[in-house]
Amino acid sequence: MVGNGQRLRLRSDFPSVRRAWQWTLAALLATGAAGCAPERPAAPHVVRVWCQQGQEAENRAMREMAAAFNAAHAAQNLAAQITFFPDFQYTEKVSIAAAARDLPDVLALDGPTVAQFVDAGLLRPIADWFSEEELADFAPTIRAQGTLGGELYALGAFDSAMVLYYDREMLARAGVEPPAADRGWTWDEFLAACARLKAAGFDPVSLHMDESGDEWYTYAFSPVIWSAGGRLISADGRQVEGVLNAPENAATLRRWREVFARDFAARAPIDPNPFGHGQTAMDWSGHWMVRAHLAAKGARLGAMPLPRMGPETVAACGSWCWGLTQGARDPDGAALWLRWVTDPVHGIQPIVAANGAVPARASAYPLFPEYADPPFRLFRELQETAGRPRPRTPVYPTLTQHFAAALRDVARGADPQESLDRAAAQVQRRIDRQRGAP
Amino acid sequence: MNRAGGATRATPWLFLAPALLLLGAFALVPMLRAARWSFTGADLLDVGGARWIGAANYSDLLTDPRFRRAFFNTALFALMVVPAQAALAFFLALWVNRPEPHWRWLRTVFFVPVVVSMPVLAVLWTMLYQPLRGDQMGLVNALVAGLGLPAQDWLQNPRLALPAIAFMSVWQGVGFQMMIFLAGLQNLSKDQLEAAQIDGANAGQRLRHVIVPAMRSSIAFVLTATLILSFRLFVQPYLMTRGGPADSTVSLIQFVYETTFLGRELGRACAGAMLFLLLVAGLTLLQRLFAREVRS
Repeated sequence: MVGNGQRLRLRSDFPSVRRAWQWTLAALLATGAAGCAPERPAAPHVVRVWCQQGQEAENRAMREMAAAFNAAHAAQNLAAQITFFPDFQYTEKVSIAAAARDLPDVLALDGPTVAQFVDAGLLRPIADWFSEEELADFAPTIRAQGTLGGELYALGAFDSAMVLYYDREMLARAGVEPPAADRGWTWDEFLAACARLKAAGFDPVSLHMDESGDEWYTYAFSPVIWSAGGRLISADGRQVEGVLNAPENAATLRRWREVFARDFAARAPIDPNPFGHGQTAMDWSGHWMVRAHLAAKGARLGAMPLPRMGPETVAACGSWCWGLTQGARDPDGAALWLRWVTDPVHGIQPIVAANGAVPARASAYPLFPEYADPPFRLFRELQETAGRPRPRTPVYPTLTQHFAAALRDVARGADPQESLDRAAAQVQRRIDRQRGAP
Repeated sequence: MNRAGGATRATPWLFLAPALLLLGAFALVPMLRAARWSFTGADLLDVGGARWIGAANYSDLLTDPRFRRAFFNTALFALMVVPAQAALAFFLALWVNRPEPHWRWLRTVFFVPVVVSMPVLAVLWTMLYQPLRGDQMGLVNALVAGLGLPAQDWLQNPRLALPAIAFMSVWQGVGFQMMIFLAGLQNLSKDQLEAAQIDGANAGQRLRHVIVPAMRSSIAFVLTATLILSFRLFVQPYLMTRGGPADSTVSLIQFVYETTFLGRELGRACAGAMLFLLLVAGLTLLQRLFAREVRS
């Protein structure tokens, strides 16, 4: 700090101002140079880990996991250093870091965003660090989510699941029979159930149209398109025009829209959890609500697969996973972290206990006795028999942005064909630009 | 300045240096960089691999219906907001320009939305605009129904969504312009007003012939500032409608943001930002010329 007398002198004496300025410049250059100097090699085997900041329980579990990892690898002089980034717009933040070539050794990624990082050459294949048996232990949905062009780039500790929750008592009062064990309704049965519930004075179902993020819409309602046999993008990832806006998909959305047109679900709700608050009889939601719903409803809580438009139930799945960067300074050390966080005891047990997600490995289920019974058992069954990851394409963020916009528009009454045409044209332009680029 | 005190020709530059350094580092350099990128196919995740593609980004944007819609929406929003907000602010300032202490209260009330965070207001207004469902509706629809008019899906109707957001934005920002006008009003010469009154000018004549001419520079400033602020439209539609329904509220900033972070097309986003810069600079210049004409 500059003392009072000194400040007075500076004000009256310009040459010394100039000298002070020179000093400041020198100091700035010095600090700049220090910043550019190579980092001290104090800890030669630090694995830099980035992950999203979730609920406090999750963050605590992550920190404890890192402490356990460091204790177990102290002899190898290996330590993980976690940096948390706020969940909101995590992928954007990682992208900026990538643009500045400042990625860590290992980072957490949301499943559908893996493809763009692989496309940009930022991730490295990881299969070599796992044995065949270990890989076979992972859920097929989790392996599929991290596989691009035949190479495995990401694995996670947990998966997600979506179901239709219902209040047994409300359904009984409306004279609605839930479907036979673990079998979902057809779309017509679902609409008929909604109609009976509405006639009985209940608000039938909550579809969470208040969600502000795009991902909810693609995640929650792609299964409707898929169960009718439709696709969002061609298998080779090059065609969206004529695929997303196929007349069959428009027809599917026309039937989907009936939920709103007949006022079975709110188009612009405010309450994020009307089912838990006893406002609706059913809830189109996921595993993350199961504990809250059980606490609110107890034995009245039922869960079934999502209603289907065709013969087959298709379930949404996918979640956060881990990838190793191309620039990792110590890939072997980083891979040890990856193995640790996806290990049933060291990784899956603590994180799943904290966030309530679906374990990603078959051998982890014995650690969670609740998965022997419904509704948890249904999560596992769906994941193993009906789960389908969202499209794995580098343009996924653009695809989900425009598909979500189309779904919101259709829900408020817009023409499905027109909405899907607009979305497909935008995504196709994006693909063509990339393919046409030199 | 006193040259004998040791000032040299370099002295003014010395004082300007911090501002110039910061402006250069954080405004000029990024702007020039963006201008260069706008002629490349730069990918956000691989900026180093950017290749020169000439004006391809620009020609692509000009034929992209979503970009054109964003351009149109942004201009339309400015057209709705600038006159409404400036006029309302002017009359609010005239109204609350009184010395008694309770008027100060009212000034504070009008100014409060300016200092509240926009995301909070966006959530609040989403609730106020709540459509009718069953026996529930938002406050705006309740008022509309009270006037005997049919309830509307304000944010779900492609024709109403942008005007609804503009209305909310005027409400949010008007206090700022009101304060500037208020400062101008309080600097008005009392003598002139009293002279006009003695000469028999009524309130309308005093406003037209004394107050407005004396407030010209405040008015010019408010119009320019409001125009530039209105072009920065992003938070309200992004949180309230996500640019929908049917792209009716997508703004240029949202377009640039999504092109950068969702599409990863940094070069194309920079081209969009350059066109945006041209729009803002062009309209601001036009307005200045117009204001000068009015003054002379």
